[in-house]
Amino acid sequence: MIKASDLRRFAREGARVLAAESDLAEFELYCSSAEQFVMRINYTSEIPCNGVEEGKSLAADGFALRIVPRGNPHEIGIGISAGEIGLEPLRAALAQARQTIVADPDFAGLPARPRTYAAPPRAAAGLMNIEGSDLVSAAWRIVDGAVGVLDNSAGVPPGVVIGGDLTVTRDRMALASSHFDDVRVDESATFSSSVTALIETLDAKGTASALGQSIAQMRASVPMLGRRAVEGALGLGGGERPPAGNYRIVFGPQPVAEILCYMVVPSLTTGAFHAASSAYHGRFGDAVMDRRLTLIDDPQWKFGAINRRITCEGLPARRSELIRGGHLVGLMSTVYDSHRMATDEHRGEKLGARAPANPRFPAHSGYRLGEGGSRRYDSTPGAAPTNVIMRASGGVSEKKLIEAVGDGIYVGRVWYTYPINGQRAGDFTCTISGDSYLIRDGRLAGAIAPNCLRINANLKNVFDAPIACGRSISPALVWGSPEAFYVPPIAVASISLSRVGE
Amino acid sequence: MGDIFDTIGFLRGAGPDILARFVRAHGSTDHADIRFEAVFNRSCSANDGEPRESVESESASFGVSVTAADRTGLQGRGQIGVEIGRRAFDRGRLVTELKAALTEAWERARTSARERGAIVRTGGARARSLAARKAAAAPAVEADVAPIFRIDPRGLAPSELGGLARDASAAIAALGPAVAFNAVSATSELRDELYISSGGALIRQGFAFSQGDCYVVAQGADGHQELWDVIGQQRGFEVLLDGRADGVMPNPNLRGFALELAREAIELAAAPVLKPPDHEVTVVTDPHFNSLLAHEIVGHPSEADRALKMEAAYAGRSWLLRSLDISEKGRRIGSPLLSAGSDPTIDGYGFYRYDHEGTAGRPVKHIDGGIFREFMNSRATAAILGAEPNGSARATAAALVPLIRMSNTFFLAGADDPAKMIADVDHGYWVRGHQIPSIAESRENFRISARRVYEIERGQIGRLYRSGSVMGDSKKFFMNVDAVGNDLRLVAIPNCGKGQPMQAKRMSNGGPTLRSRARLAGG
Repeated sequence: MIKASDLRRFAREGARVLAAESDLAEFELYCSSAEQFVMRINYTSEIPCNGVEEGKSLAADGFALRIVPRGNPHEIGIGISAGEIGLEPLRAALAQARQTIVADPDFAGLPARPRTYAAPPRAAAGLMNIEGSDLVSAAWRIVDGAVGVLDNSAGVPPGVVIGGDLTVTRDRMALASSHFDDVRVDESATFSSSVTALIETLDAKGTASALGQSIAQMRASVPMLGRRAVEGALGLGGGERPPAGNYRIVFGPQPVAEILCYMVVPSLTTGAFHAASSAYHGRFGDAVMDRRLTLIDDPQWKFGAINRRITCEGLPARRSELIRGGHLVGLMSTVYDSHRMATDEHRGEKLGARAPANPRFPAHSGYRLGEGGSRRYDSTPGAAPTNVIMRASGGVSEKKLIEAVGDGIYVGRVWYTYPINGQRAGDFTCTISGDSYLIRDGRLAGAIAPNCLRINANLKNVFDAPIACGRSISPALVWGSPEAFYVPPIAVASISLSRVGE
Repeated sequence: MGDIFDTIGFLRGAGPDILARFVRAHGSTDHADIRFEAVFNRSCSANDGEPRESVESESASFGVSVTAADRTGLQGRGQIGVEIGRRAFDRGRLVTELKAALTEAWERARTSARERGAIVRTGGARARSLAARKAAAAPAVEADVAPIFRIDPRGLAPSELGGLARDASAAIAALGPAVAFNAVSATSELRDELYISSGGALIRQGFAFSQGDCYVVAQGADGHQELWDVIGQQRGFEVLLDGRADGVMPNPNLRGFALELAREAIELAAAPVLKPPDHEVTVVTDPHFNSLLAHEIVGHPSEADRALKMEAAYAGRSWLLRSLDISEKGRRIGSPLLSAGSDPTIDGYGFYRYDHEGTAGRPVKHIDGGIFREFMNSRATAAILGAEPNGSARATAAALVPLIRMSNTFFLAGADDPAKMIADVDHGYWVRGHQIPSIAESRENFRISARRVYEIERGQIGRLYRSGSVMGDSKKFFMNVDAVGNDLRLVAIPNCGKGQPMQAKRMSNGGPTLRSRARLAGG
């Protein structure tokens, strides 16, 4: 990776060069360096396998330049340079930016305030320096732990599958702007690991995961994940296959996280409201969830796996309160989207009657992210969540939650949750894929076979009037999503389930 | 500074020697390869008739992969991907970075092999599956495959592409207040790939891609409708400007495509939400809907890595293989009318000649007259299955690891007239266009939402509904296919996601009109 000091130096020198260009009214120079390591785990007891399938990594460096020429303040040009920082590529990118100028009436200038910003110090994190071979060994500890449980467990039948990964993502950015007196620099590193164990002949599935910001957390949590996943699966075999119908349900943290990830959070941006595609269209300020629920995005939460001090627009990365006491009170946004919402002639209809007359949506959430969730110089800033935290006031213990359901199902894991009729409709579907139980007489009463039931529901069924909400929040990973979720379990009164298979 | 595409020519000359020297110096290396690509991309977008963004990027990246063994012959694999970009202009620096990456990949491979060996030696019976068999090396093929285009993306002025996107977006906005929002984007790209292996392969393949995306939100007094769709070809800008009339994947020009989608969204916003019956019904599904069926229920479960449970943690397994002894191979999984396959050699969005292991791509018949026949595979998975490699291992970028991917995967055409397939239905539904899929963990069950659902009464097409989905168990749906149309059509699928990190790949899927039975879900 390029050192933070080199990124800073280039940004400063680049800004000096750009400031001397007489045809530029504004400019912004964003450079990033990122690396992601993924150790993929694949063990199958009856099929030849490699254990750690591959120890792979991806490195990407470069910068993007945005310019506003003198004359028309709505004009903007973009130049991108892959792989190299320096004054020669800067000149090439500047020529490119001049050629790609468009006049966008919704563009009102580059991010401008605050002119100076001293980001809070960040804790040292060994993840910035860990080597690929060390991660290969750490991934083998997971496999070793899982195989060890199998070797020590009498009578484990065939058909064991252990899959997952250990991922470390680290990135750095530096941003200089004609509006800023300083160069904004940030860096962060995160690990995540998710391990799934299937015992196919028992129709059993167990999972274990960990995420965090430090090498100490990684060393403490990761080695035992293989063992925990297998032990979980061993405890869940021979599950029942309930019939289709409407059920009282406890959604555990992973399903709550997945429903938030795919159904709720994408609707809580100014971009979604501008596009008339939010599930909460016309309801800003309304009660959109039960009054016990709050939802925030906090990039600097001290217990969060994600840590961002500065956004990819060079602005302070700040907490966004999205839902308070069940009411929709905030949206994640970028500078561009905030301006576009503020000047949208249809914003009254899009936000709804309870929205303030001149709503302001601070641009706390503008990030340039790639597929793996690391900062990328060649991505356009978009509103992206970081640590998503849902809390419930008056929450109860998980025991009380299950008691409140009486008879129903505890759903521990869901799969393939999508807005089946589009984002705005709020309808979703997914399958119950594992870690799930029957509830009888207010107690867990036995495992449910994985993958035998499909959920067909709407957001209202989950968040409008839960029977009860959990008191404690737990971390949850959603595959393919770089953000981290910290959520309680939620018990709901009626969810429609259909059967999968005979 | 020069042309970054010239790096391909440089590495064709220098690359084999770099690799040969590396292998000689690292004696435990069983296999090593270098993949390099240069990419030029121009993209423009517009919202609600106004330009939004115009971006040009030129990039280069490489990936090296090393398989190395410990003293007992157990293997480990390391892979390094680097988006080298402009640093590739400095040939000395490029060579230095390649060598460093090969060495680092080797170190990871050796570490992995050592750790594996320790578990195999000290572990019990459960560790036996870790003593894996080795895949045969790919043949030493040399090949040069040129891209096909009339208008070179590199020669386009930004205003040409941007003007097209803006014009299409403005045409949609001019339809009036029924359209609450629209976004149109246009992309034209040229990529040049090189594959060099320690086994002697030296393969260059060029690709041109052009794609138009359109997203529309329509709303009326009674409802709203979001629609998103794509046109895409392995051609130059001409397919967005003029459209394409020939082949199995014709498309209108970008403006025509965008307007058609917007008009459909307006019509659907005024249509009632489907309230389906609570029982199985006859469904006639059109080629566009069937493209997602082919993708989710045939294609993905026919990927050998998925079938062999290598992706169980994030992408699930396959209903087509339970174990090496229990699979659907050779068994009936559909009606005798149903056939499906993957074919990278046809002129679709997923065309290629060689995969990223140097294996020639060939047609793979998954379903033949209702009988399941063959998985798409890589060299390693072919060895496990005892099959011949069929060249299905591809990565979306040189810096990423090849996975088993669809190319052009579709149901084969039948003999039935689609109009008669509808006319013969006493009561049922005609389902047109796909939207969103949700599938069960082994893809044995699905719910796929449609754009349009029409009632059929006594062979006549009746009322239009929105927010309808088809739900079913995969095998049962295939077994109940009782008519297959003669109207084969493929559609471009630009964003099939697979792997960790995610690789969003371009391909095409499709089929003819099908008739079967399923349950419907509404909104």
